[in-house]
Amino acid sequence: MDIIFKGEHLLPGQLGQFFVVLAFGAALFSFICYFFATQETAPKSDNSWLRLGRIGYWLNTVAIVGMGVCLFYILYNHYFEYHYAWSYTSRELPVYYLISGFWNGQEGGFLLWMFWEAVLGNILIWRAKSWEKPVMTTLALSQVVLGTMILGLQIGSAHIGSSPFMLLRNSGIEGPIFQNANYLDFIKDGKGMNPSLQNYWMIIHPPTLFLGSASLVVPFAFAVAGLWKRRYKEWVQPAIPYALFSCMVLGTGVIMGSFWAYESLNFGGFWAWDPVENASIFPWLILVAAVHVLIVYKNTGHSYFTATFLTLVAFVLVWYSSFLARSGVLGESSVHAFTDLGLFWQLVIGILIFLAITAYLLISRFKEMPITKKDEETYSREFWMFVGAIFLGLSCFHLIVVTSVPVWNLMFGTKFAPPTDPVKHYNVIQASFAVVIALLSGFTQFLKYKKTDVTRFFITTLIYLVFAALITGLAVYATGFYKLHFVFIIVMLCSIYTIVSNGKILADSFKGKYKLAGSAVAHIGFGLLLVGALISAGTQKVVSENLTGEQYSVEFAKDENPKENILLYKNEPLKMGEYMVTFKGDTIEGASHFFNIDYQRIKEGKVTESFTLRPNVIQAQGGMSSTPDTKHYLFHDLYTHITMTNVISTAPQAEEASHGEEGDDKNYDAPVAHEIAIGDTMTYRDGIIVLKGLNKNVKLQNIPLTDKDIAVGAQLEVITHGKTYQSEPVYMIKGRAVFDFGKKIEDAGLKLRFTKIIPGQTVADGKVEITVYQQPESKKKFIVMKAIEFPYINFLWAGTIIMIVGFFMSILRRNKEVKTV
Amino acid sequence: MKKSSIIGIVVIAIAIAVIISTYSNTSTYGSFNDAKATKSELHVVGQLNKTKELFYDATKDANYFSFYMKDNKGEECKVIYSGTKPQDFERSEQIVLTGKMKGNEFHASKILTKCPSKYTDEKLKVTEVSARKSANL
Repeated sequence: MDIIFKGEHLLPGQLGQFFVVLAFGAALFSFICYFFATQETAPKSDNSWLRLGRIGYWLNTVAIVGMGVCLFYILYNHYFEYHYAWSYTSRELPVYYLISGFWNGQEGGFLLWMFWEAVLGNILIWRAKSWEKPVMTTLALSQVVLGTMILGLQIGSAHIGSSPFMLLRNSGIEGPIFQNANYLDFIKDGKGMNPSLQNYWMIIHPPTLFLGSASLVVPFAFAVAGLWKRRYKEWVQPAIPYALFSCMVLGTGVIMGSFWAYESLNFGGFWAWDPVENASIFPWLILVAAVHVLIVYKNTGHSYFTATFLTLVAFVLVWYSSFLARSGVLGESSVHAFTDLGLFWQLVIGILIFLAITAYLLISRFKEMPITKKDEETYSREFWMFVGAIFLGLSCFHLIVVTSVPVWNLMFGTKFAPPTDPVKHYNVIQASFAVVIALLSGFTQFLKYKKTDVTRFFITTLIYLVFAALITGLAVYATGFYKLHFVFIIVMLCSIYTIVSNGKILADSFKGKYKLAGSAVAHIGFGLLLVGALISAGTQKVVSENLTGEQYSVEFAKDENPKENILLYKNEPLKMGEYMVTFKGDTIEGASHFFNIDYQRIKEGKVTESFTLRPNVIQAQGGMSSTPDTKHYLFHDLYTHITMTNVISTAPQAEEASHGEEGDDKNYDAPVAHEIAIGDTMTYRDGIIVLKGLNKNVKLQNIPLTDKDIAVGAQLEVITHGKTYQSEPVYMIKGRAVFDFGKKIEDAGLKLRFTKIIPGQTVADGKVEITVYQQPESKKKFIVMKAIEFPYINFLWAGTIIMIVGFFMSILRRNKEVKTV
Repeated sequence: MKKSSIIGIVVIAIAIAVIISTYSNTSTYGSFNDAKATKSELHVVGQLNKTKELFYDATKDANYFSFYMKDNKGEECKVIYSGTKPQDFERSEQIVLTGKMKGNEFHASKILTKCPSKYTDEKLKVTEVSARKSANL
C-alpha cells in the first residue's frame, strides 16, 4: 500500500524534473537538426534544419534556466523533502550561502556547466555565421552528454544520471521514518553545508571555474568543424580569441580556488599538489600550449597538426579531470574528491565520446591536412614558441601520469601508491619544466617573426640575462632563498629573465609596437606569478615553533620533524618568534567560533605593533573545520590557524553543570590552604595573591543577617601574567552554622575560599585561612595553534592579475583580426 | 636531420624520463611487516584499534599523538604522529598512513582518515593531515 505523505511540496520538484527531461530532449533534438543542417549539400536549402536546431538550443537554454529557478526555489524555501536541500543546506544558512549551496553538490556543478554552455551557445548562434552549423552541432552534443548526467532515470538496478530534484525518501537512505506519512515533521533541518565551503570565495570560485571549463568546448568545436567541413585553414583565426578567453577564465578560476584554499582552508598554503587541484590545470596547460601553436600556424603555416591536436585534446582533458574529481577514483589519494554518485561509467563514456571524435577526425583527415614539408627557421619566434608549447605539454603529461596513479592501478590491476612526498616530487620535476618554459618566454620575445638578425639577437639576450642574473642574485640573497635546491634558483633566474625581457617588449610597445603589448603583459604576469610562488613556498617559515614541548623519547627528539604547534592558555602570553601572543577569548557568531588572538611585536621593551587575529572553527555536519586568519603586509603574510582546542567540545556539555559543589571541586587540583594576615602575600603556580583587607560589612543577597551573625569578606588581589583581578570570598557564621562562599575567577582558572578565621592576641594579629583551588593545566581553556609566515606572496596574486590583464589585451587584439564570414 | 625529428626525439626522451622518475618515486602500499623490512617511507592502510589508548594531551606536548593501528593483514603497531590529533579521528573507519618504522614504532608523516558520514553510510568523508605541511622545496 502506498503511503500518502503529508506536507511535501512536490510541484517545484516535478517542474524541475520536467525541465531536466526537456533540456535533455531539446539538446538531442538540436544536435540532430544541426547535424543534418551541416551535412546538407543542396545549394539552395530553406535552412529549415538550421532553424529547428536553433529552436532546440533555445528550448534547452530555457529548460536549464527553469531547472535553476526550481532548484533555487527549493533551497530558498528549505524544502527538506528534497535530498539536495537536505544534504547541503540548513535553516540558519544565510541567503548568500544558499547560492553556494546551489553548486555544493555534483548535480549543481553539472547544472552550472550546462548553463554556461547554453550562454556560450547562444553567443555563437548570434556571432558564428557560417560556422554556426558545425560548431553548434558539437555544442549541442556536449549539452546532450551533460544532460544525461542529471537525468536521474532508474532502469532496473542501474541509473542514468543523478537528478538534483530527487526526494529524500527516494534517495536510498533507509529509515523507518519514511514509513510515517508525516515524516517531514521529524525533519526539522537539513544537514547544513560543509563548514569549509562556508566562505565567500565559494560563491564566485565555482562559477568562474565552470565558465572556464565550459568555454573550452568552443575552440574544440571550431577545430572539429574545420576538420569535418574540410575548412582546414579557416577555423584557426576565429578560434584564437575564444581559446584566449578560456585560458583567461580558467586560469582565474584555478587561482581563485588556490586563494580560497589559502584564505580559508588549513592546508597551510596556496597549492598542495592535490590530485583534484592538478586535474583542474591539465586543460589549462594544454590550452595555453594550443594558443601558442595556433598563433604559430596562423603566422607561418607550420605546425598545423600540433595546433589541432592540442586544441582537441584540451577539451578531452576537461572531461578527464571531471572524471577524476567526480568518479571517486581518487578516494585514497585526494582530500577533496567527490564520492561516486554512481556516474563512474557515464563519465568514462563522456570521455570516450569526445576522445573518439578527436581520434576519428585526426586520423581520417590526416592526409588532407595542410602540413608543410619545409623546415622551420631556427632563429624565428615561431620555432621557439612551438618548443615552449611542447614543454607545456610535457609538464602537463607529467602531472597526468602521476595524478592518475589510482587510474593506472584500476586499469592494470597494479598496486602503486602515490609518491610518499608528493610535494617534493612535483616541485622538483615541475620546476625543471618551468625553467625551460620561463627561459623560452623570455628570449623568444627578442626574436622576430620568421627571421632575425642573429648577432643582434645574441647580444640583447645576453645583456638581459646578465641583468636578470644580477636581480636574481640580490633577491636570492635578500630572501634567504639560496638555501634551497639549485633547480629553484635557476627557475627564479629564468622567471626574472622573463619579467625583464618582456618588460623591454612592453616598453617598446609604448613606442608604437602596441600589438605585442598583450603578450608582453601576460608573460610578465606569468613570470611574477612564478617568482611569488617560489619565494613564498620556498621560504615560508613556521613561526609557531614549539620549544617547550616535553620530549617523549630520544628517538622522537632526534627526528627532524619540526614541532609546529604551540599551546596557548587563555590570558597567558607566550613568546612566539618576534611576537608576544595571547589567547584572549572566544566569541560565537552563528556557526563560527572565533578565537581572538592578540599579537604584539616588542622591540627593546616597547610595543611597536599590535593587532588581533581571529581564526575560527566552524562546526557543521558533525565535524569541525578550522579557518585561518591572516595578517596581510605588503611583503609578507602572517597566517594563523587553530589545530586543536578544549574550548569547543563535541561531547554534550550539560553534564558538567549538574554536578554541583562536590563535582565542581573535581575540576581543580587538590586545594592548598594558606594562613595569612592582612598585607601578606601567598604564591601559587601562575602568580601571587595578596590579602588587602577584611571587609566586615558584607551584604549577601537573599540572606538577611542579624546582629549575632558574622559575615566577613576577604579582599584579595590576584596578580597573574601581568593582570590584576579582585575577588572577595566570604566567611559567615549564622546561628551556629559556618558557611563560606567561594569566589571563582574564571579567567585566571582560580577558585578562592575563605575557610577559617584564626583569632590572634590582638586584632591586628589575627589570621585567616584562604583555600586556593587552581585548575589543572588541562582544565584551563587553551588552544593549540600554528602560525606560518609567507613572504612575498603578494607577487603571486599580483602576477595572476597582470597575466589575466595580458590575456584580456590579447583577446581584444586577436578579436580585431577575425573576419568571420 | 630535420629539426622536427630532433624535437620528436627530445620529446620522447623526456617522456620516458618522466615515466621512469614517476615509477621510481611511487611508493607501495604495504603492511607493518613490510615497513620493518625497509628503510624507505611507505603507505600502510588499516583500521584504528579503538580498544587501545589514543594518546594526545596538548598540555604535555601539542605535537605528539600516538595510537594503535591494525593493518590489513591484522598486525598491530603503535603509531606516532608529530602533530595534533586529526578531527573526528575516533570515528575513522579506515586510515592510510605514510611514514616509516623506527624501532618498534611507526612514525607517520601523514595521516589520511576516512569517516563514515553521520547520516549515510554510502557517503564517505575524507580528510588528510600532514605533519610537515609546510612544503619543503
